[in-house]
Amino acid sequence: MSSTWREFMSWNKYTQIASRALRQALTETDRVAAEKRAAIGVRYQLWENGQSGEQNYVVPPAKESGSGTPPV
Amino acid sequence: MFARSVRPALNVARAANVQQQQQGMATLREIEQRLKSVKNIEKITKSMKVVASTKLTRAEKAMREAKKYGAANNELFKHTEPEASEEAPKILYVGISSDGGLCGGIHSSITRAIKKEMAANPGSLAVVGDKPKSQLSRAMPQAFKVSFNSVGKDVPTFAEASAIADEIVKNGGEWDQIKIVSNKYLSAISYESGVTSVISAKALQAAAGFQQYEMEEDVSKDLAEFALANAIYTALVEGHAAEISARRTAMENASNNANDMMASLQLQYNRGRQAVITNELIDIITGASAL
Repeated sequence: MSSTWREFMSWNKYTQIASRALRQALTETDRVAAEKRAAIGVRYQLWENGQSGEQNYVVPPAKESGSGTPPV
Repeated sequence: MFARSVRPALNVARAANVQQQQQGMATLREIEQRLKSVKNIEKITKSMKVVASTKLTRAEKAMREAKKYGAANNELFKHTEPEASEEAPKILYVGISSDGGLCGGIHSSITRAIKKEMAANPGSLAVVGDKPKSQLSRAMPQAFKVSFNSVGKDVPTFAEASAIADEIVKNGGEWDQIKIVSNKYLSAISYESGVTSVISAKALQAAAGFQQYEMEEDVSKDLAEFALANAIYTALVEGHAAEISARRTAMENASNNANDMMASLQLQYNRGRQAVITNELIDIITGASAL
């Protein structure tokens, strides 16, 4: 049985999705503890020809009121 | 005696004296202001040092756990050394630091190591952290493939390392080897930059030990991606611990310097104050003796 996920994502993305599913299945206290361990705030920026592109969140945060533009 | 208003010479002399006193006072006020601002700075750096010391214990504990991930990774790499190929392998350098400042030479050590490596074996660049990004984008903007920030405010998690590895695999271009440049934590007061190699899928497939196993699916690419996430995680956590210890040392030095400045300023202030008082006394005495 070949896995179909390989066509769409890397192994890291695959395990991220699987572990997120597992975390959401835990009981309340364990789930909160696990989500603290899995917090992602990292932002990335693609570069081309020495020019930086715009910054994107890997995991977009919950919408806050009055969010400004991220500093470059 | 004559009323004071009809002794113009004395009036002029008194005015000049008052001005001198005011000048002396103004210098005194400047010294007072400097003293107040240096005192505030010392308070800030002292509190930053205390915060860094408390963060350090947590960061060190996380680092000890993370090193086990890295050890497993290195073990795997040892058994799959790539043979030297004729043409130069394409290398992707991953520089790992953070966005925060006031931590001594942490970011510069990464930048220097990357510049040295790029001079010997050029390649493309992925950078984690705003500070090394701005330093390197001035020197070699063409080599950049992807950059990351908002890491390092808290102890890094494996989820973040996995996300970074995923982005690199998606958008990092083509490579034969990956070299991670990060700060190694030597002790609570010293760190050093180091280069770690990560296995590539091709090298894994070619390795003798790997070929002894029968496999339905080719998992070498998965293993290479997991190894990359592992290596990035170890580098992130160790770099985080090194940065916190460097910040603690830098803030401690800043507090000591501020204390020295305060001592010398205080002496200057006292001397100035005594000079002003002495001048006033001289005026009074000469004025009294002239009566």
